[in-house]
Amino acid sequence: MGYLGEGFLTAFRILFSGQEETFSAIITTLKVSTFSILITLAVGVPLGFLLGYYSFPGKNACRMVVDTLLAIPTVVVGLLVYAFISRSGPLGSMGLLFTLKGIAVGQFILGLPVVVSLTASSTEQIENSVRMTLMTLGASPGQLAMSSLWESRYSVIAAAMTAYSRIISEVGVSMMIGGNIKWRTRTITTAIALETGKGQFAEGIALGIVLLFIAFAVSAAVSLSRRRASS
Amino acid sequence: MTHLYELQGITREYGNKKVLDVPELRIEKGRIIGITGPNGSGKSTLMRILAFLEKPSSGDIFFKGKRVRDIDESLRRKATLLLQESRLLKRSVFDNVAYGLKARGKTEGLSSRVIDSLSIVGLDPSKFASRSWFELSGGESQRVALASRLILDPEVLLLDEPTASIDAGSAAIIKSAILETRERLGTTVVTVSHDLDWAYGISDEVISMFSGRMHSLGPENIIHGPWERAEEGTLLKKLDDGQVITASGFPGSSKTAVIDPEDIIISIDTPENISARNAIEGTVTRMNLENGSGRILMTIAAGGQVFYARITTLSLQKLEIIPGSAVSIIFKATAVKWI
Repeated sequence: MGYLGEGFLTAFRILFSGQEETFSAIITTLKVSTFSILITLAVGVPLGFLLGYYSFPGKNACRMVVDTLLAIPTVVVGLLVYAFISRSGPLGSMGLLFTLKGIAVGQFILGLPVVVSLTASSTEQIENSVRMTLMTLGASPGQLAMSSLWESRYSVIAAAMTAYSRIISEVGVSMMIGGNIKWRTRTITTAIALETGKGQFAEGIALGIVLLFIAFAVSAAVSLSRRRASS
Repeated sequence: MTHLYELQGITREYGNKKVLDVPELRIEKGRIIGITGPNGSGKSTLMRILAFLEKPSSGDIFFKGKRVRDIDESLRRKATLLLQESRLLKRSVFDNVAYGLKARGKTEGLSSRVIDSLSIVGLDPSKFASRSWFELSGGESQRVALASRLILDPEVLLLDEPTASIDAGSAAIIKSAILETRERLGTTVVTVSHDLDWAYGISDEVISMFSGRMHSLGPENIIHGPWERAEEGTLLKKLDDGQVITASGFPGSSKTAVIDPEDIIISIDTPENISARNAIEGTVTRMNLENGSGRILMTIAAGGQVFYARITTLSLQKLEIIPGSAVSIIFKATAVKWI
């Protein structure tokens, strides 16, 4: 157990001394995950709302596909995106392999089903009494749709946080698409995998602590949103 | 004369079940109509139809003399319904009250109108306007929901159980806010309520509903089965304290009977040598002045059954009845009508 304790002590020293390599991975992670979640939300929330709010032929099949994609392994996403953006792939000319943009594409694919599915569920769960209330106050069909989405905003925020948790903690996409290139595409998770492989537990633990801290902050935000949504 | 609403042959079915059957109903402008009846009697369905939220399965609705063909928001905006489960939107009290006007694009003088509406329902705007939806009690929420409707200066105000689950103080404030709005704008009000005191206290006219149909008989004295068959074709209903109600005729499938409060005579003595078959002893529990008739609606408890009787203020003074007084409820067996 001695090396674990020593690892924690060294980890804190690394964090408080501001070691550049470690902070490069942290900043890269925050940069790419923030970009990914913003794109994911911009596409996922409208799609999720359409899927939850309106009835159309094939709606149940769409829900089933989206719900199935919730469980897609990150390495499978990494593999598929790699196949598309590698030099010999159909999108190889875009030069996305081993770039942050390439990682963002993979993380977008990973986060999209989460946002779509949870937004659709929260929109479906808008009680009939809310719709009736809006109608009795004179809402037009457009106002009814927008106000319904606004009424489920806390659930949508919770969906966003859940997707962000999945994005920031994934390792498969970042490793396969990003290539774990120091100073460029190395993220917290790929750095942890690398440092652990090299037997450098202290660096791994330091990055793990940062990841846990981010996860805790996201989880607290989700919890707060859920409380608001249910009150 | 053109009525505000005229319903002809209206039915509403969910699946194969007919929940509403109204052959004819006319509502005059500026009147307050009370609708009472037990759960499942079709009151809320009728309200949703009057609010243009739901189309009837069959029949015609005429609004201001014009037949309603298509329902759009311009028609829906003429009437506003305070739902039984009134939900506040997840936003501040101010935004809740302002929502309807914003939806209509009427934002001129919005703040002062919100302040006025909150004041009408007895909520101090300086305290309540900035509060969030979850910072209100049940009674306050209901008053905010009412303010959200009153701000619209509605032609028709529909209220579905507006006083259910709220305190007596809030109910009194809601009543005065409704009466003030009717006085100020000539608003037509239709209110559904289980609470007969509330319904009679506010309404010009009370309509009774049972099993989706309207009845000319009042909703007050509903007596459910079982009934026992006795001699001479009469039927008996035993009350919890052993007293018996005697009825004549043939019960319908519901085995439910009603007694019109007008058919009940109140006596402070135990009557002897009378032709009426029923003389039930009970205790007066409440007395309320009716808005429409100006008479007193008396509530009497007897053997686990609640009876309602209507008497004039003159009779009340003469008999010196107060809540807690022991009285006899006298009515004929033929006054028990089957529905």
